[in-house]
Amino acid sequence: MEAAKKILTNIKMPFCPGCGHGVCVKSISKSLENLGYRSKDVIIVSDIGCSGLVDPLFTTHTIHGLHGRSPALGVGVTLGLDNPNKKVIVIQGDGGATIGLQHILEAARRNIDMTLVVINNLLYGMTGGQMSGLSTNEFKEYKHSNDDADPYDVVNLAHQSGAAFSIRVNNISNFTDVLEEAIRISGFSLVELSSLCTSHGMKKISEMKHYIVAEEKLTNNRSVGVSIKRNTASLLDKSKILTPQFTSKINDSIGIVIAGSAGGGVQSAAKMLAQAAILSGLYATMKGEYPITVGTGFSVAEVILSKKPIHFTGLENPKVVMVVTEDGWNKVKNRITNSTKVFVDTKVSYNSTFITKDFLKVGGKKGAALSAVSYWIKESGVFPIEALFKVVEDSKYVTSLQKAIKGAEELRELVYADRK
Amino acid sequence: MNTKSSKNVMIDASRIITEALVQSGADVFIGYPITPSNLFYSYSKERFPEFLAGPDEISVLQWMCGYSAAGKIPVTATAFPGLALMTETLNMAYMMELPMVLIITQRLGPSTGSATTGAQGDLKFLDGIISGGFPLPIFSPSNFNDAWTLSNKAVKTAIEFRTPVIILTSKELVMTQRSFNINLLEPLEQINRTPKVVEPPYKPYKAGKDRVPTFYPLGNNEYQTRFNASTHDNDGLIRKGTPESLANTWRLREKLEERINEYSFFELDADDGADDLIVTWGVSADASRDAINLLRKNGKKVSLLIVKTILPISQNIFNIIDSFKTVTFAEENMTGLYKEMIFGKRKNSKVKVATKFGSMLTPSEIEEIVN
Ligand code: SF4
Repeated sequence: MEAAKKILTNIKMPFCPGCGHGVCVKSISKSLENLGYRSKDVIIVSDIGCSGLVDPLFTTHTIHGLHGRSPALGVGVTLGLDNPNKKVIVIQGDGGATIGLQHILEAARRNIDMTLVVINNLLYGMTGGQMSGLSTNEFKEYKHSNDDADPYDVVNLAHQSGAAFSIRVNNISNFTDVLEEAIRISGFSLVELSSLCTSHGMKKISEMKHYIVAEEKLTNNRSVGVSIKRNTASLLDKSKILTPQFTSKINDSIGIVIAGSAGGGVQSAAKMLAQAAILSGLYATMKGEYPITVGTGFSVAEVILSKKPIHFTGLENPKVVMVVTEDGWNKVKNRITNSTKVFVDTKVSYNSTFITKDFLKVGGKKGAALSAVSYWIKESGVFPIEALFKVVEDSKYVTSLQKAIKGAEELRELVYADRK
Repeated sequence: MNTKSSKNVMIDASRIITEALVQSGADVFIGYPITPSNLFYSYSKERFPEFLAGPDEISVLQWMCGYSAAGKIPVTATAFPGLALMTETLNMAYMMELPMVLIITQRLGPSTGSATTGAQGDLKFLDGIISGGFPLPIFSPSNFNDAWTLSNKAVKTAIEFRTPVIILTSKELVMTQRSFNINLLEPLEQINRTPKVVEPPYKPYKAGKDRVPTFYPLGNNEYQTRFNASTHDNDGLIRKGTPESLANTWRLREKLEERINEYSFFELDADDGADDLIVTWGVSADASRDAINLLRKNGKKVSLLIVKTILPISQNIFNIIDSFKTVTFAEENMTGLYKEMIFGKRKNSKVKVATKFGSMLTPSEIEEIVN
């Protein structure tokens, strides 16, 4: 490593006289210099509050973000750089630590290779000395409310979440040594430094002068969290190419609704119908509708087939409605008009104007929708049923899909037998 | 017409946008899944060179800012509830001048509303999303070809203007599958990301004539760089109310407004001698395309303007609108939010709105309003 350059600028400390923040900043810079870091190898991520005034004090790269969010910003910088020779140091106060507690836990959980320094002055300095979630209950006299909830123990929380190293030290310890130890660690290290606020704490809180925080040091032996890079292939190349090889007799466009229950293959039957139509030289659109909990209730699909390119994909008055279960029926029955051609399973509904067939019986629970689709293709002659057979050819369920299509053909034959 | 030379597939715009973003040079997708942006999440997991699952939307955008400051182009996809959480950090990214792309798939609000119902209701929120009323580039694709090319423009604009860019879509637009000839997708422009040569000393927020400061990432070995979300000077250090720091903040508006024509896209289907114009955007564009055909078939002369850079609004859009006697806005929201951007809420005899709430606006509904 090249000779270390001074990490600290000559700029005057922006803190109130006697404020402990100055010691923290000097210790951070000293520890980096002792470890041999050059300015351009260090990224200081700062937060909001008195501790957020540190940027001009460093000759390093700096990024000054939002209140409480700097540990998350630090995670992004660390993973984005993905360079073990660069060191990310995040500095925040106790206010920031509670606003963004989740960010600290997440950095610890992933054991991101960065150091978070929480400068805990036990209050909100910049806004007038109000108590924070890291303040102690020992300042009873000063507490404005009856709130006697214990403060967060961020050191322990980070440890529980998986931080490689977390430590709390009081203001009689040597910060530089502690910081060096933390910065040297691979993985997430958190250092909670104690810093007395001269302007608010020392003036208003009589107990503060004598208050010594309890020290704590915890470690986890874990591998460092990284973001995996990989080579990927085009999503377009993964799409199935559908080259027209059949012809269709449709001259205009036709809207179809397929309705059934979750897990009943409604969406895939609709997709196969659309694909078969494309193989027959048509344009097609397909969309699904189902409850948020996809594993229960209705499942409805809308398909538009057209000789001409399709713009609007809404379907107000479907020409064809296929229904294979009660759930599906309840969802789409209001969409049926006098001009709708309805194909419905025998078990669901009977109406003399509907085409009522045993789709469930021939297709099974998962194949009924495909049987209904197949029946309609045969009945209407929109395009050859071979187009649908072609679509299912390379499916891993090819046998059962073929069975569902053939089942529908048998239903057709029964019709012919009736007519004879 | 489908021919044997076409490469037809069943595809949705989520897939097209994801692919176009990667081909345009986006490096990483960071997301938290939310309906109806879920397809972006799953396709990105498959396609992006790097993919991260954030624990919440605030973390997602903060991580993205970190990646961007480190020189990468990050992408996320969300819907209004996620966007609401991201708003503070979006302002930070804007102030720091960090390139990135956010896909917002609109759904029916307010609040969590109906997650699986499409809408075009987030426009006004986005218009004011940067405190102070600063412009933020928002692209709204109207079909698959737009989805492809505007995604490329989004990455290009983000890099060239050092700004977050939003791709504003809607549920029906990104979840509906269609037959599509992917041979029609043109090769995408490769975007130059080498920083301009700068005369030392490098100041991270000092801009030249193009109003955009040269970007050097955190951790680079050449220049010390600083990023700052608070009002800052050219060095990137907090300065409250100095002429330099205020000018630096003003510049954020100027860089996007002075060069608006570089990233302002629209499609005008002009009918010679028409007095009527339909203005539309996003998911309502296809219904408007059909409505135009219906109207023209019945002998009505009418033109169609599909706005693709929906915000900020370029003078070209105002000029086109001003050149017609009556204008009908076609949008899937309650009152015509884009109309209100142009004409305000006040009634205007020149202006009509074809709107729909809770379902898709249909071609015949637009036709009826125009007539
Ligand atoms: S307000 Fe308190 S914490 Fe802030 S700089 Fe002054 S003494 Fe330090």
